[in-house]
Amino acid sequence: MGTEHALSLTPRRWLKTLAKGERHYLFGSSLCGVLAGSQTIVMVVGLAWLIDQIAVHDRSPTALFPVFALLVGSVLLRAAFQWGHEILGLEASLRIRQHARSQLLSKLSALGPVWLTGQHSGSLANQAVEHIDALEGYFSRFYPQLRIALCLPLLILVVAGWLDYLVALFLLLSAPLIPIFMALVGMGAERLNHDQFVAVSRLSAHFIDRVRGMTTLQLFGRTSAAQQDVWYATDDYRRLSMRTLRLAFLSSAVLEFFASVAIAVVAMYVGFGLLGYIEYGPSSSLTLFSGLAVLLLAPEFFQPLRTLSQHYHDRAAALGAAESVVNVLNEPALVSRHAAVAPLLSTSVIELTATCVSYPVRGQVIGPIDLTIKKGEVVAISGASGSGKSTLLALLAGFLAPSSGIYRLQENYQYAWLDQQPCLLHGSLIDNLRLAAPQASHEQMEAALYRAGFGPFLKQLPDGLDTLIGERGVGLSGGQAQRLALARVYLSNAPLVLLDEPTASLDQDTEQFVMSALLKLAQEGRTLVIATHHPAVIAAAQRHFSFERDELVEVLA
Amino acid sequence: MIAIFRDFRPWLLLLIQRRRRFLVGAFLIWITQMAGLALLGLSGWFITASALTGIALTLGIAAHLDVYVPGGGIRFFALTRTVARYIERLYNHNTVLTLLADLRYRVFGYLTQLDDARLHGERASDWLSRLTADIDTLDNFYLRILVPPFVALLGIMTVSLFVAIWLPSVAVLMAGTLGLLWLVVTLFAASWGFSQSYQQVVDQQSLRHLVVDQVQAAAELMSYQSAQWHREIIAGHEQQAYINQRRLGRKAALINSLVSAVSGLMVVAVLWLASLAFTQQLVTAPIVVMAVLIALGVNEMFIALPASFMKLGASYAAVRRLNQLTSDSKPVHPTATLSEEAGLAIRTNHLSLHYAQTLQPALSNVDFHLPAGKRAVITGNSGAGKSSLASVLMGRLKATQGEVTIGGELPWQLSSESRAHHFAMLTQQVDLFDTSLAENLRVANPSASDAALWEVLGAVVLDGWVQQLPQGLATAVGEKGQQLSGGQARRLALARLMLRNPQVVFLDEPFAGVDAATAKHIAASLDQWLVNRTAIYFVHQANSLNLLPGVEYHWHLDAGKLSQCLLN
Repeated sequence: MGTEHALSLTPRRWLKTLAKGERHYLFGSSLCGVLAGSQTIVMVVGLAWLIDQIAVHDRSPTALFPVFALLVGSVLLRAAFQWGHEILGLEASLRIRQHARSQLLSKLSALGPVWLTGQHSGSLANQAVEHIDALEGYFSRFYPQLRIALCLPLLILVVAGWLDYLVALFLLLSAPLIPIFMALVGMGAERLNHDQFVAVSRLSAHFIDRVRGMTTLQLFGRTSAAQQDVWYATDDYRRLSMRTLRLAFLSSAVLEFFASVAIAVVAMYVGFGLLGYIEYGPSSSLTLFSGLAVLLLAPEFFQPLRTLSQHYHDRAAALGAAESVVNVLNEPALVSRHAAVAPLLSTSVIELTATCVSYPVRGQVIGPIDLTIKKGEVVAISGASGSGKSTLLALLAGFLAPSSGIYRLQENYQYAWLDQQPCLLHGSLIDNLRLAAPQASHEQMEAALYRAGFGPFLKQLPDGLDTLIGERGVGLSGGQAQRLALARVYLSNAPLVLLDEPTASLDQDTEQFVMSALLKLAQEGRTLVIATHHPAVIAAAQRHFSFERDELVEVLA
Repeated sequence: MIAIFRDFRPWLLLLIQRRRRFLVGAFLIWITQMAGLALLGLSGWFITASALTGIALTLGIAAHLDVYVPGGGIRFFALTRTVARYIERLYNHNTVLTLLADLRYRVFGYLTQLDDARLHGERASDWLSRLTADIDTLDNFYLRILVPPFVALLGIMTVSLFVAIWLPSVAVLMAGTLGLLWLVVTLFAASWGFSQSYQQVVDQQSLRHLVVDQVQAAAELMSYQSAQWHREIIAGHEQQAYINQRRLGRKAALINSLVSAVSGLMVVAVLWLASLAFTQQLVTAPIVVMAVLIALGVNEMFIALPASFMKLGASYAAVRRLNQLTSDSKPVHPTATLSEEAGLAIRTNHLSLHYAQTLQPALSNVDFHLPAGKRAVITGNSGAGKSSLASVLMGRLKATQGEVTIGGELPWQLSSESRAHHFAMLTQQVDLFDTSLAENLRVANPSASDAALWEVLGAVVLDGWVQQLPQGLATAVGEKGQQLSGGQARRLALARLMLRNPQVVFLDEPFAGVDAATAKHIAASLDQWLVNRTAIYFVHQANSLNLLPGVEYHWHLDAGKLSQCLLN
């Protein structure tokens, strides 16, 4: 998925690539925006002409009815273009977000379970949901508006020049100032946004810090002091940020000032010109029509820029979000991207040949390891905690690509996975079982649950298999969760079962149950690889390996 | 409708508590908008008057136009608009930030009432991650929903009354059109977009859960080769969410273009009516132009309104979440207290605890008696119920059945002050605050001297480490105490406990993450500190039992059931 060349992705470049994918919609949106702006020009020029005709040339409005009708048409056309501008921007933003989200989710899959365990799932979910959604305004509003702000003023300048070149000259003279002010606004807004962002997140962190420590505050009877503290911290922040805002708002005030001054200057110039006080240039040929038209065009000249500065926070939000997403996209993938290599012997399930695993920061963790797991074998792996058992199991499962050596696994070989903290999905029992076998029938699910000793609980559940479990439903104890995970193993019929300390945190009853269930699985002819320190499991295994001083050695009975 | 309003009410009341700031802020926005309209209107008037005077002059008719008053007016309004806008932005941001402090203060006050089930329940990380965002949504309410429609209404009235001086029929047209438009962009937009913007938040949440699933179940999804299946589920949800968002976006676009069309048509209509009045010589040309230009500029008051009101449903979702959170805090203030001098015995009687929506009780029929001043240990696997038992003993959770008495009183009936005074607990999850070491210690005792801090640091063998830190006691511990190792954080929390003088002490895993030699030293300090206090250790591994001096009782907890063990 293009992750290879995207290793040094920057937030800006990522946004640019995303925009490129939907450039047609974005272009359409910008074009509609410019067309709507041009209808505004038609409208104000038309208004000026009508007023001139009525006030100066004494024509009656009824005689001018066709022009009025034309004006109505232009108003409706403008509304239609505005609608198109928004709709196309919306569509672009929706498509881009869909693409960006799928890119991120694919990346999460490529990073694999080992990388993901080290992460906070909530903050990753934040990136995939909130941060991707934070791109909305940038693509639907800011990006098209930037193009409009470049084109529309030029168009207005041309029309103004045709009406009165002195006014156009005045606008043109202020035109070089526009990029300067744009940069000024940009810098001001960017710094403001950045500072605010930092300050706000620091303040939110302070608040969350106190909420998170609520138990401790309650235990020490310090809640009311902390409540005061929350108020003072926020108020301090207010006083501090008002100091920066005073300066930061100046940049938008400058734009505002220019728009106001443009009206004032043009009004004075046109007024004096019409009175005959100004003798040079086109002033003498000014009419109410041309005067009024340039007066109305002057603020329109600055309008796109003002709109742009209003959308500036969209850009800041998108850049902030992009930064965090790009950090994940730039992580090197841990899961092998290559197709599986078939084992040399048809009797083996997995073959490791001089295989090593190393992490970018920690260096080599395990290896070189030579290990062949044969079909139908029960293999126990023991060792002190942190010795590499889990890493080896992750390697066997393909969660980690070997840094060197060869890993051979039969292609499309299904295997079951069970660790000490079985994962429960947000959903019903059905959803949780489908995880192992998306096609399974309800009868098969029930049978698997009964085999896993979940039957007694299932009977208590009013909604049966449809019962929601986890955060939004019925809470399961650790033992029940492990039985549910065991039911997944049964349901999947996977010939290979990988188990990472499956009984480490169970109560005695469940532990006994899971142990005997494992032995039965072995009798069924399934291949089992178990990381464990449990003597009974080790005794039941046909082969036993142990990590001794970073080396995997076979323990012979 | 009424139910929705009822949910919003307490927060609206809080927001408009600062009534004066609200009025001043609204007034400043009004000034800005009116100055803008006046600038445009007066400029139009001036140009037209100039043109007519100029024509008259060229025709040789004696005419005169005072250019100084309108010229001054134009400059004045240009300046007023800029300055008013600047002040308005500053002032209203100040208000928003003030309200933020108010809102957080209020919400924090509610949260202080929450019990352990809510603070550490499965959903805790969920609401915690959204809490500040939800408060911010309410905070934005002020500048997006409360002030602008008020100002717009005021603006409509001002403009219509002003135009009515010369052109009553035009004024009626403007007031009618703008009034209707106001209703469309506020009430209609709100109700039209309500369910979709509410749904948007719901969609976001379910998408969030699915992504969390993908992350947490990564091992299972990969091994069972069901990753594709799960991605399809996500894609399905996403598709639904996009359909909803598209619908909402299209409605917003429609309303925006309606505002544009109606306000544009109004300008044409104003010109039409005003010109008719002009041909009947009811009004002068400069006034006609002024009215038209004011009508042209007036739509700026409406531009931001539809987008804000379309999203009312999303704000409602935030409000409901906050209400849900805060309604859980029952403002019961128990008042029982314990006597000072007597040692406190702990006795439980058929104690059971059943969390809502779980199949198995967390504790069932727990019975034990610990005499005053004695020490006990309760062992058990994680999930066996140790933390639940500790919470019930502390009175932080109420038992479903049976009861606990400490010193003859039911702990949950004690006032929170009394509980904090008599009991102390080292929790399994240590909370450190993002401040200095000293501040973290003084959470337990704000008036503790530096000497006292060094003494307790010595008791947990952290004094040497703190001494060699460049900033000593003033060293920041970082967010969640990240600058410290897990063991250091535990020891700091234990040191903090020793700054207090409780009669009953619960220690949940006091030696987790601490090496053997240090643990031995800490155990000795604890032995000394616990003299004459009733204490219960909760530990995971039985092999740390020999570290616990003076323990006379040992119970084991397995799946919520307590059994007696023999001490050797």
